[in-house]
Amino acid sequence: MLKINTVSKHFGGVKAVDNLDLQVESGEIYGLIGPNGSGKSTLVNVVCGVLKPTAGDVIFEGRSMAGQTPSTRLRNGIARTFQNIRLFGGLTVWQNLWVARNSTEDIRSQSILRRWLGSGTALKKEIETMLEFSNLADKADVLASNLAFGEQRRLELARAVAAKPRLLLLDEPAAGMNQAEVAELEQRIRSLREQGITILLVEHVMQLVMGVTDRIAVLNFGSKIAEGSPNDIQENTAVQEAYLGHSDQG
Amino acid sequence: MDYYLNLINTIGIHTLLGLSAYLLLLTGQVSLAQAGFFGIGAYTAAIVTVIFEWSILSAIGAAMLVSGGVAFLVGFPALRVRGLMLVVATLAFSEFARMFFYNLKWRVVRDGAEIGPDGTMGFAEIRYFNNNGWLNWEVTIFLWVFVAVVMALIWWSDQTRIGAVLRAVGEDELAANSTGINVTVVKVAAMTAGGIVAGLAGSLYAHQVTDLDHHTFTVLLATFAIAYPILGGLSNVFGTLIAVLFIQGLLVEGLRFLGDWRMLLFGALIIVAMNIKPLGLFDNQTIRILRKALGVKRQRDSV
Amino acid sequence: MEDFWYEVVEVSQSIADGLLFGSTYALIGIGFTLIFGAMGKLNMAYAAAALGGAYAGLAGFVLIKAPLVLVFGISAIATAALGYAIYFTCFRFIPVNNHLASLMASVGALFFIDEVVVHVTRGSPLTFPSMFGDVYFELGPYGIRGDLVFVFIIGLISTGVLLYILFRTRLGLATRAVAQQDIAARLCGIGVHSTNSVTFAIAGVLGGIAGAMTAAAVGVLSPVMTVPLTVKGIIVAVIGGLGSIPGAIIAGLFVGGFENVILYFRGIDERDMYVVALLFVFLVFRPNGLFGTAITRD
Repeated sequence: MLKINTVSKHFGGVKAVDNLDLQVESGEIYGLIGPNGSGKSTLVNVVCGVLKPTAGDVIFEGRSMAGQTPSTRLRNGIARTFQNIRLFGGLTVWQNLWVARNSTEDIRSQSILRRWLGSGTALKKEIETMLEFSNLADKADVLASNLAFGEQRRLELARAVAAKPRLLLLDEPAAGMNQAEVAELEQRIRSLREQGITILLVEHVMQLVMGVTDRIAVLNFGSKIAEGSPNDIQENTAVQEAYLGHSDQG
Repeated sequence: MDYYLNLINTIGIHTLLGLSAYLLLLTGQVSLAQAGFFGIGAYTAAIVTVIFEWSILSAIGAAMLVSGGVAFLVGFPALRVRGLMLVVATLAFSEFARMFFYNLKWRVVRDGAEIGPDGTMGFAEIRYFNNNGWLNWEVTIFLWVFVAVVMALIWWSDQTRIGAVLRAVGEDELAANSTGINVTVVKVAAMTAGGIVAGLAGSLYAHQVTDLDHHTFTVLLATFAIAYPILGGLSNVFGTLIAVLFIQGLLVEGLRFLGDWRMLLFGALIIVAMNIKPLGLFDNQTIRILRKALGVKRQRDSV
Repeated sequence: MEDFWYEVVEVSQSIADGLLFGSTYALIGIGFTLIFGAMGKLNMAYAAAALGGAYAGLAGFVLIKAPLVLVFGISAIATAALGYAIYFTCFRFIPVNNHLASLMASVGALFFIDEVVVHVTRGSPLTFPSMFGDVYFELGPYGIRGDLVFVFIIGLISTGVLLYILFRTRLGLATRAVAQQDIAARLCGIGVHSTNSVTFAIAGVLGGIAGAMTAAAVGVLSPVMTVPLTVKGIIVAVIGGLGSIPGAIIAGLFVGGFENVILYFRGIDERDMYVVALLFVFLVFRPNGLFGTAITRD
């Protein structure tokens, strides 16, 4: 579904992403891990259109995404969450979802006026369902900036899902969460997959990555050093070296 | 009586100016261009009634069209500059417009007298209301109908998705873009709408004051325009109205006894206000508190 | 044929005169750019303070018959004091990332200073002693105005002293450190507030000199000069690249020359329109100016 074709992203002399080849199959939950600075977030930004690749191409559902802005890519089915939550703080929870729920086929087929006004009971029901799913139903009128940290993360996820994407990129969604919250997140990711969404999960929290992904790729200094199932990766010495800097005594 | 009518007219016109800047501020664009759009509206409307001798409504319509059109064109290069640089660019635009009108000469002879904009001498004899027998209070009502309509329109759009989208862009453009909002369309639309409202204000101003001088359309006016929504806060349109009432009513007119020292006080007050409440007088916290106290209906119930 | 050469001489004369006068714009531009470089904010009252200082210098001349050097000195000190006052009231207490509030506050300061000047002078323009106004060199077909040369030389000296302070003294080092990384600078024990106020004061000294220079070259001081000077100063800073001193210098000279050529061809009424249009062109096509550092400070 998503093909990252020998993508490179250089910032001056720094090779944040270096000739990376990656493929995510439809319906997968694909993990991306690596030490800090290995290029994970840069890659996410390239896939989503925030950064332009220095070389290489991002192919989604058979079509190249070259030159497309983030909002166009969203319309084509790619959504993302941000590592450092970027909610619309001055808008309420409801409004955050309201604003995001605008780019899918069924909405776009409505008349322009309906879309702009965002009115209609169908839309209202949909947003309510999303709020239920994210456990935020009672916080609908709270300003996003006033939410607790865990609630903000849930809203960030809900907002990305609001656009009914087919591919969802999660950028370190578990950062700062306690064990209970991570378990909850794991559940939520699984049910998203059941809804038919393919997921690319960038993460540091191993509990989550090992628990929920089908396959994992490991990055270091912008290139892929390993790829395989969670078990394979755990046993892989190159990966251990990358993280720990020396081989384990065992 | 006339004195008070004049004051009410000024408040109305400045409210429109403030709302014009308000729309842009919502999307995060700090614009000093409103004075320029205001001037364009004023001169266009005056030319329509004085030189073409058409009705006031067509003059207003023409003013809104021309100002809106220019604003639309300004909107695109404005996308390339951010923050402070946008302030500088819009300031430059307003100055350019002012200098343009300073040089504009279009004299026509009517009934033996010369009329029309006369370059540095300004544009006098905009006598539509007088010539057509409008009474002063009728002009005031006419003017305020427009103000009320614009306020209602903006208030209403704030209850719909339009308002949320505008504010989302103002909050975080990157997030807005990644959430599927076409930020370009939103920002240019806001600039255009701001231009239309400012043009409307200008057209009303020209006919109310009957005499245009390029000295009106300066940085000072642009600053007033942006000061109103900043002081009044961006939560809703009434903040802007209250700010206009406060500044025009209290400061400019109420302190008339201070004579020319008013401007000193005005300058000092701006400084004080910015230090104490940099987010405006009616920011989100105040509004939310008021809402709770008054038990105002929540937004989504109106969907 | 002779007419063509005549034109060439006239135009190049305009350019030359403009370049000399442009040194005043360069100084004002440096002032704006210094403050932007240090704090990322725009001080809209800067040109007003510069002219305010010039008025103070004029007062010195009128009241105590101060000699030339003292007039410039008084202007410099007066503007430095004004600069510090503006820093204290409009920048010091407002949160670092709130550019808008400081901008608005400095606009308030602009109104304030302007009004004080209007009141004190009752709004009428005052003659400023022109320095070396009657000196006039001839160089072939060109005439060189002594007062413009004088102004240019003062500009050169001031810039030289400024660069010396910035790059060869500890004060200058601290200023540059704060400009680049104010949190790290604080951790190194550099007082950000005191450094910033010094930056404002230094910019003020330049501004006062520039204000006096402008008044001397034009021969007149009047409150209506405030807005055009503000606009031109900002334009110069932008074209040169906000935060870049060499940029401001080159841009100032360029704008001076450009403006004068336009004056020659299109007259005074249209002259400023072209300068503003020039700003537009730069903002749209080269928003970083000639030597811009980071522009995205929003």
